[in-house]
Amino acid sequence: MNAIEVKHLSKQYVIAKRQEGMWGAIRSLFHREYITKTAVEDVSFSIEAGEMVGYIGPNGAGKSTTIKMLTGILVPTSGEVRVGGLVPYKERQKNARQIGVVFGQRSQLWWDLPTIESFELLKEVYHISDRRYRRNMDTFTEILKLDEFFQTPVRQLSLGQRMRADIAASLLHDPSILFLDEPTIGLDVVAKERMRTFIQEMNKERGITVILTTHDMSDIEKLCKRMILIDKGRVMYDGGLEKIKEHFGTSRILIVDVEKDISLNIEGVEVIREEGIRKWLRFNREEYTAAQLIQQISEKTEIIDISLQEPEIDSIIRQMYEQGL
Amino acid sequence: MLAFWLRGYRLYFRMVGASIRAQMQYRYAFFMNILGWAMSYAGTAVTMWVMLSSFKALAGWTFWELIFLFALAVLSWGVCVLFFSHFRSMDQYIVNGTFDRFLIRPLHPFFHFMAMKFDVGAFGQLLFSIAAVVIAYIQLGLDWSLWKWGVFLGAVAGGVFIQSGIVVLISAIAFWTTRSERFYWVVMFPAKSMMNYPLTLYPRILQWLFIFIMPFAFVNYLPALLLLDKKHPVYSPYWGSVSLLVGILFFWICYRIWMLGLSRYKSTGS
Repeated sequence: MNAIEVKHLSKQYVIAKRQEGMWGAIRSLFHREYITKTAVEDVSFSIEAGEMVGYIGPNGAGKSTTIKMLTGILVPTSGEVRVGGLVPYKERQKNARQIGVVFGQRSQLWWDLPTIESFELLKEVYHISDRRYRRNMDTFTEILKLDEFFQTPVRQLSLGQRMRADIAASLLHDPSILFLDEPTIGLDVVAKERMRTFIQEMNKERGITVILTTHDMSDIEKLCKRMILIDKGRVMYDGGLEKIKEHFGTSRILIVDVEKDISLNIEGVEVIREEGIRKWLRFNREEYTAAQLIQQISEKTEIIDISLQEPEIDSIIRQMYEQGL
Repeated sequence: MLAFWLRGYRLYFRMVGASIRAQMQYRYAFFMNILGWAMSYAGTAVTMWVMLSSFKALAGWTFWELIFLFALAVLSWGVCVLFFSHFRSMDQYIVNGTFDRFLIRPLHPFFHFMAMKFDVGAFGQLLFSIAAVVIAYIQLGLDWSLWKWGVFLGAVAGGVFIQSGIVVLISAIAFWTTRSERFYWVVMFPAKSMMNYPLTLYPRILQWLFIFIMPFAFVNYLPALLLLDKKHPVYSPYWGSVSLLVGILFFWICYRIWMLGLSRYKSTGS
């Protein structure tokens, strides 16, 4: 059975148009003009139980709006949504029992209380039996080392600790579907890795369906076999990760600080930005290795510093527009 | 059905208990908050005394009668603050997006939001108002029958419903405009201050407003007419005995509007 079924889903907002200047502000007190903004347009996809899917796109693409419709926070303008067989906005409370939600930027925990108390409260909220509560808490504590900060108020936790607590809290009631909205945002490399391992484990061992929105391409690479890419409210791509990477993921950007400010003309390499001695070079992974490129540059001038950039989602999308798929 | 209510009741106390513990984390602020409110109301009482010492009576009300009128309003307001004070800042939850949390849990959103906080600062109001009612009762030489005690309790409960209703109603504005706290200061605060004095001081149109639209008169003035055996040419003192009824009806209307706002929120998400 499909865990999630979305058909021709659209969401439009009506927002008041902002008028410019003082006079406009006064006028808008009496007469407002409204514009319709489409956040999600004709989106369809289905996700099988036990799948782990990356739902990605640039800022304002409609990711959060989709998640909000799947969790029952928002009512769609048109189209169909089914989550675990339920229509979320019609049976919001029932749906809440079968889903777990983590918003990376906002904690779901009780801010001023020792962390452990949030778990105890959620036990009551979801009406979780003592046995189930103990079993889950033992598992999560072991993997996420929650006991290090059980007695610390949530407001004093580091971002990494807070995210660990938040994801554990979202899984306490054994949901079958987990929504993660930017679960690794702002985390350092170690914390990110720990988070990913945990998500992977929950997906494998408990068969939890995971939908993950992120900015971070490496989240997707490490976790998801499939990704749904949206931009401007529409699905641009839905399928395996390999294909995307083959087509668009081969370009890399090398940032070099060189000693002398000379022009670096290397065949097949594009200088996309220059700021004094710092230069951004785009190259194709299949034509050059980074080492070859560095060697070529060092023949021309001394290199002070280098770093390598993975392609970002935004640039992949830009390439998609330019080349089509 | 019974199990449902019992569970809600239990859950409310668990969550409210957590809220009290959260406030206790800031021990100094906790006590200063209570003391602060008690002192601020005592200050208003002193102002009344200063005023009355030169005028003797205000619109036919003596000093202790006025204190009774004032304390009756503060008493029900205190109870209202205990349960509903955080509705005043509900707009902040909406603006920064944390309101969504109340929609992803298997609870009724109104119940969930209500159970988020229990404002212990209101013990200050209760401390002051109970003391003031007791002293006024003795000073005025009152000796209430069982019926009048019933009216008194009805007035307090009704007053809680009426004032909570307004707080809920004002918070609901945030579902449409995302901002509502300023309405509290523009509407609720002045209205509440006016209710500290006899209704007859104000123009007829305001009197009607406070009886029929925003039924503040049922919080203290009308019950006080009955409880203190005062006469009014137009308003029958028995109006004061229906405060609870008026309160429940008014609160229900406000609650429905809040729910209407919530469904709007769900379709706009802003």
